[in-house]
Amino acid sequence: MKIHVLKNIFQRNDNAARENRELLDTSNVTCINLLGGAGAGKTALLEAVIPLLADSLRVAVLEGDLATTKDAARIDALGVPVVQLLTDGGCHLNATLVQQGLQRLPFHELDLLFIENVGNPICPASFDLGEHLRISVLSIAEGDDKAAKYPILFKDADLIVLTKCDLQPMTDFDFDAVTRDLRRINPEAEILQTQARNAAGIDPLSTWLLSHCRPSSMASVK
Amino acid sequence: MHEFAIAQSLIETASAEAQRVGAQRVTALYCRIGVLRQVAGELLAEAFYIVRDGTLCETAELDIEKTYMQATCGQCGQAYPIHDWQWDCPVCGAETPSVTGGDELELVSIEAEVADEDSCAQEHLSAQR
Repeated sequence: MKIHVLKNIFQRNDNAARENRELLDTSNVTCINLLGGAGAGKTALLEAVIPLLADSLRVAVLEGDLATTKDAARIDALGVPVVQLLTDGGCHLNATLVQQGLQRLPFHELDLLFIENVGNPICPASFDLGEHLRISVLSIAEGDDKAAKYPILFKDADLIVLTKCDLQPMTDFDFDAVTRDLRRINPEAEILQTQARNAAGIDPLSTWLLSHCRPSSMASVK
Repeated sequence: MHEFAIAQSLIETASAEAQRVGAQRVTALYCRIGVLRQVAGELLAEAFYIVRDGTLCETAELDIEKTYMQATCGQCGQAYPIHDWQWDCPVCGAETPSVTGGDELELVSIEAEVADEDSCAQEHLSAQR
């Protein structure tokens, strides 16, 4: 016999994501899911921008990786709370894993939480983690065809950051072509060009983050 | 690789539904998956045939209906499909659509076998009431 079901297959993930968002809302924390391929420059971007935010926001990072604590060690060196989430070979973070990470963070003492997703331009985009905003990262080294090839990575981004722009002279990366593709996929997201190594473009990123975060309660804490 | 997680979830959901109506065996699962979910149909089928062993879905077939991006115009209310990231409304030209389809990830229905189909069907109906 035929049984009508009509159930969301990702119910478990979506429930956990909703719980995460509620928890973050209650604690007045803005949460950003940072997405991009392996080597796109996500960690370098955090290393560059977090010091600029430290005076006005209390920041922490959940670091998603398949293996090793290399990225968490880089964030730890900045002096902000960091928890390494290891997927043990899994290609994306899910909301349940993030939930476990949240329990290990002083989230009631935070203003901004970055979740650095597993380096992968495909699967992570399909999983809601409970974030409020998405930042998608594309490096010049990956090539200007990647926006068109991985459109879903950019479709729901609130901000798109092009990284390693100082490499442009050594490549045939076409900013106009990639901007056209990105605009087609996501007409609304702001697009920033950055060079984490020499801090170019990091100020506008910091300004964007400050303007998209809830007001910090840092003043009242001090 | 998330195809395995989806296969697992499909089987869990289908098995729970089958148990709820007293069915012994699931023979088919009908699911609907939107392009925005980036699920590879062949990989999902492969994962499904591995994960189904030892479950109520052990002999079940998997039917995947692929769905595409749909939108509704924020200005004139026209519903239209989105191809190649062309967001503009084909009727009024507005660029303010809300996406209404393409992100489905649903188990729509299952086909299940029960020992005494009449009494179970009755039970199922009364459970729905």
